[in-house]
Amino acid sequence: MVPVALSKSLRASARESNNADGVDSDSSESLLMAVGNWQDIAAYNKLFSRFASKIFAMGIKLTGNQQLANDLVQEAMLSVWQKAPLFDLDRGSAKSWIFTLSRNRCFDLLRKLKRQPSCVSADDIWPQHEENTALVREETASLVTQIAQIEKYCVQLPEQQQAVIEQIYIFDRTHEAAAEALKIPLGTLKSRLRLGLGKLRQLIGVEQ
Amino acid sequence: MNTEINFHPNEKLLDSFAQGKLPAGMSIAISAHVELCNTCKENTSVAEVKAGVALLETSETKSSSEFDHLVADIVKQPQQKNIMVEPSAVNEIHMLDHSVKLPKALAKVASEGLVWKKLTGGINRAELLLDDETQCEFLYMKPGSQVPMHKHQGNEFTLVIDGSFFDELGCYRSSDFVVRNKDHMHEPASEEGCLCFAVLDSPVTFTRGMARLLNPMNRYKFRRATAKQAE
Repeated sequence: MVPVALSKSLRASARESNNADGVDSDSSESLLMAVGNWQDIAAYNKLFSRFASKIFAMGIKLTGNQQLANDLVQEAMLSVWQKAPLFDLDRGSAKSWIFTLSRNRCFDLLRKLKRQPSCVSADDIWPQHEENTALVREETASLVTQIAQIEKYCVQLPEQQQAVIEQIYIFDRTHEAAAEALKIPLGTLKSRLRLGLGKLRQLIGVEQ
Repeated sequence: MNTEINFHPNEKLLDSFAQGKLPAGMSIAISAHVELCNTCKENTSVAEVKAGVALLETSETKSSSEFDHLVADIVKQPQQKNIMVEPSAVNEIHMLDHSVKLPKALAKVASEGLVWKKLTGGINRAELLLDDETQCEFLYMKPGSQVPMHKHQGNEFTLVIDGSFFDELGCYRSSDFVVRNKDHMHEPASEEGCLCFAVLDSPVTFTRGMARLLNPMNRYKFRRATAKQAE
């Protein structure tokens, strides 16, 4: 866990650099990042006031029922908090992502209400990442190939992927710390790491 | 995996899928096709963006502040750092001489246990109860088998999982997603054998010969399958 002071200064510098790049630090994407990387409650509150009423409106449209729509706000906004570290900027906007979480919760709520078989769940129908299993395996994978060789191949990777691999394997940082250092969401970091390692394997000619 | 898929769910169907409006059986059939088809994977992402814009409009009846009391409890919950993947108990179906890997959504429901029943003409089916609006089944057509001529009162979605089958309108191979509605009458057959997942939203009517005797039975079975949940 990163000390609060450090996390604050990192956050401040992230905002500055975002502004310098012309990226809105108040965008839903930046807020989600802050929630995912640092459990930033203020950022979560902003997202909440931005999306709760929208999710309620969606619940009314899909279920036609006030009580279900209320339940949906609770379930969907809980998902936003819990899954924020998995948000991946490379895969779409915050709004689309929050929509997919809300849709999944709504689907499950309706099935539960109708007492339909529990073998079906929305997260199986719309998996968040299809490389799920690869992603988990990646984290425990150790690089056994010779270092010199790896370094040679590493420079052939796109810069963003190099940066992630450097953070994790050279500075030996945790995924969370690396995401903070690079100012990217945890989900983005993981997908870049996965792509980078995959490419590296390809270059070296190692299968899994 | 993506070698030449010729039949896909249309845009309207993918839109409904992305909005979460379809019954579970149809959603699972489409999910399985999307897992196998890069084109439909991209189109689903696009449909999700559209659906998000259409459905996430600000409510005129309720403001977000009316939900503020929920926040304190939510932020006490632990966050999820990794995607949990529960491996399915079943992820392949064993055929006579080979095994077929199932797409994830299908593997999950197949894990509940499949009971295969032999029908006439070299057809085997295993029924699944997934929702109260559709009848879902795995169908295995033996090499050289044929389903009697029939038509549908509603829609039939068929995902080819392995092998191939053909009817008057075409030949369907692995990963193809075939839609038939009440205007189609067909007599599917398979030369090399075929494993499918089929979803019906109303009963089949056989139109020729002895198979017509099955019609009253089919209507009864469909009602029973879709009524089971309501009890």
